[in-house]
Amino acid sequence: MTDQLRKRLARLDPMHPGVPTKSMTTESSRRLLEDIMSTPVTEQPASQPEPKPNRWLVGVAAAAALVVAVGGAIALTGGTSGDPVAGGPPLVLEAGGEDSTAMCIMFSVEELARAPLAFEGTVTAVEGDSVTLTVDEWFKGGDAGQVVLNAPQGMEALIAGFPFEVGAPYLITAYDGNVNYCGFSGPSTPEFRAAFEQAFGG
Amino acid sequence: MSSETERRERFEAIATEVYDPLQRYLRRRATAEESGDVLSDVLLTVWRRLDDVPRDAVLPWCYGVARRTLSNHRRAAQRHLRLVQRLESEREHTSGGDPADVLDEQDPDLAEALAGLPPADREILRLWAWEQLEPREIAQVLGSTANAVSLRLSRARKKLAESLTRQDDSNPGHIGEEPAEEQQR
Repeated sequence: MTDQLRKRLARLDPMHPGVPTKSMTTESSRRLLEDIMSTPVTEQPASQPEPKPNRWLVGVAAAAALVVAVGGAIALTGGTSGDPVAGGPPLVLEAGGEDSTAMCIMFSVEELARAPLAFEGTVTAVEGDSVTLTVDEWFKGGDAGQVVLNAPQGMEALIAGFPFEVGAPYLITAYDGNVNYCGFSGPSTPEFRAAFEQAFGG
Repeated sequence: MSSETERRERFEAIATEVYDPLQRYLRRRATAEESGDVLSDVLLTVWRRLDDVPRDAVLPWCYGVARRTLSNHRRAAQRHLRLVQRLESEREHTSGGDPADVLDEQDPDLAEALAGLPPADREILRLWAWEQLEPREIAQVLGSTANAVSLRLSRARKKLAESLTRQDDSNPGHIGEEPAEEQQR
């Protein structure tokens, strides 16, 4: 059964083995490889690990159990906490679980619109592994006034996020309580916001 | 790694192994232009970190680098917009130009079921069925553990099967393959 499903899925592969790719022997490929091999490596010795990010990054990854980190946290969809202004319990999202690191898919407004949770918020605090945002606008899926993003330590290998700065606005989407940072969350700009508005009809 | 010649040989060997599958990995997830940029960056990372590339998991390691590089490429919101605009214009101008669309037509039920899953589930299923990776290798790509990946993969398969079953139920006259339902009904 499992094999059958795998085969059936494989038939949806847009880059199945029958689709040609660029050969390594073409002139442009050789030029690329030669350019790379003439790049000095002394600045970053191969044995040295990637530099550890000293800013708080959403992209640092690890496994579960983060939601526990903030007591009284409400559940993922966050729809329970009434009046945002009244400062009910904050919505807590994981900002670094394997879920959130696995979402590098092609960006489109259509795909963005699938996110069950989307909001714009301004960062009010960055403390250790958590970032607190005041929600400026819910596009979809929640009504909490505050959202706390948690990321675990110790997974510096997965550097893939963006830094959070206090006072700056961000557009965030999440699935199953996990921030989808790979192209679907980030600093708020007029263009990115326009995509959110288009996606969520806001 | 000692001599320059050895470095070059090792790099050439890795490039030979990953050049084709990396292009496929990237084109499944990004535009041609973006794929080209990221491919160069990944190969540069391989060159710089040659000693870190695990000999028994060269390709999954490279997929992991590609995933993070692709993510970094998409950080800036400006890029999002350009990408959206480009994708939209590509779709408008080349009807049916996306190979995925053509394939989706061959198995619309599965394509729809897949599209309805959360992105993380979709991605793990793609790594499994498209990149043909085993849980241990998927774990290397995602920076997770084989156990966690196995669990996730099995859940994703179950969700997909359930979605297909729901489609069948609401579509009694439907002709197609039996959905890969695991157990109960």
